[in-house]
Formats: sequence, structure tokens, C-alpha cells
Amino acid sequence: MTLYEKIVELYPQLTNKDFIPLIGTIMLQNDSNGKGDYIAKWEHPTLAKPTDEELS
Amino acid sequence: MASIVLAGSSSGAITVAAPAVAGTNTITLPASTSTLATTADITGPAFLAVSGANQSVTSGAITKVSINTEQFDTNSNYDTSTYRFTPTVAGYYQVSGMVKILGSLTASQVIIYKNGALVVAGNYFIVGAQSALFNTVEGLIYMNGSSDYLELFGYVVGTSPVFTYTSIYNTSRFSAFLARAA
Repeated sequence: MTLYEKIVELYPQLTNKDFIPLIGTIMLQNDSNGKGDYIAKWEHPTLAKPTDEELS
Repeated sequence: MASIVLAGSSSGAITVAAPAVAGTNTITLPASTSTLATTADITGPAFLAVSGANQSVTSGAITKVSINTEQFDTNSNYDTSTYRFTPTVAGYYQVSGMVKILGSLTASQVIIYKNGALVVAGNYFIVGAQSALFNTVEGLIYMNGSSDYLELFGYVVGTSPVFTYTSIYNTSRFSAFLARAA
């Protein structure tokens, strides 16, 4: 399961609009360095940033 | 054709020649001490690199495009392992990027990052289950000639998205050149 899928499973109310670059409040990023996806920005007004435990 | 030859103090010469065209042509020199063009203006950095292989990416994540094959890189300023362009001449750079994406796609965008942050974004496409998208982005970006660097990122929403390589003529690409020195 990808990071995106884990977050959407945790918060089903999220939509693709929440992840749109520049205008979304959440930004997932992958620097193509072998370390995988990570949360580069979390500015959602009501939902808390997931913990590592919640995403594991 | 009339010409003026300026001989060097020890060797060599510069020749200024008038073109063989009708009418009177004018070249205006600076009114005060100035430099018409520096070496950097004429031989500033330019590079073009392409992706040499497929790159599977995650839907919903902004992913750096693995542009790993140089077509040319005049100043050796592009790094094919980090996918970064770090020009060594300060100035304004015309930057272009294109990402070819295959999959069952519903949205996509291509973005240029400067020093790890978004600086220019291309159009955000929302489509109905397309199998192929070609996204482009371009911008004129100031670079300090030392630490500033640029990267190309792609964002896609869909099932099994791939930044796709078909050939060096049909794949993702990233390029820049010095438009004006600082």
C-alpha cells in the first residue's frame, strides 16, 4: 500500500483535490533517491498529520 | 565588402566586417565605458537531458523525474545521479521540462523546483481516464551561479502511472540555457 493510499484509508474524507500541488493542503513527495514517498507538507485545516505509527 | 582589422598587441586580430546588404546599417556602441558582451553571454551553460528508462511512480505524490541521459551539457552543470541542474554562471535561465506519462490517468502536472521548492508549475490537467499524457512546463528563472539548483518533478493521479521511455526522442526531457547573464 502506498503512502497516499494509507493516508486516504486513514482519512476517507480526503479527495484528490487535497493533494494537488500548489493549491492542496497536503503534499506527498518522492525525491527519487530510493527513500520512497514522504509527507512534504501537511497544512490541512482540520485533520492532524498522521503519525509514523498510523502509517506503518 | 569593407572591413576594419584590429591587430592584437602581440598576435592575432579581430575583424569587423560590414554585411553585403543594401542600405545603411548602424551599430551603436555604449556612450560610456562598458562591455558589449561577456564571455558568459556567449558561452553560458546549456544542457538537454532525457529519461533513459521507465520510472514507475506513486499516484498522488510529486515525484522527481529521473532524467539520467545527457544529450549535451556544455558546462557539466547537470548531475545525472541527483537529476539536478546547478549552473556555474549567474543569470536568468530559460528552463523547459516535459514528462511523458502512461497509465490509467485522471490528472497530472509538471513542476520545476528551485532549491527544493516549487518555483514554476505547468498546467494542471484533469482528464477522463487517459492512457497517455504529455505535460510541459517552462519558465525564466534567476540562478545565482553557485548554490542554486533546479529539478523537474511530475505529479499524476491514476492507476499504475509510469513516466515512460520509448526512445530518446520520445521520453521525458529537461533543458535550460542562459538567456541573460546577471
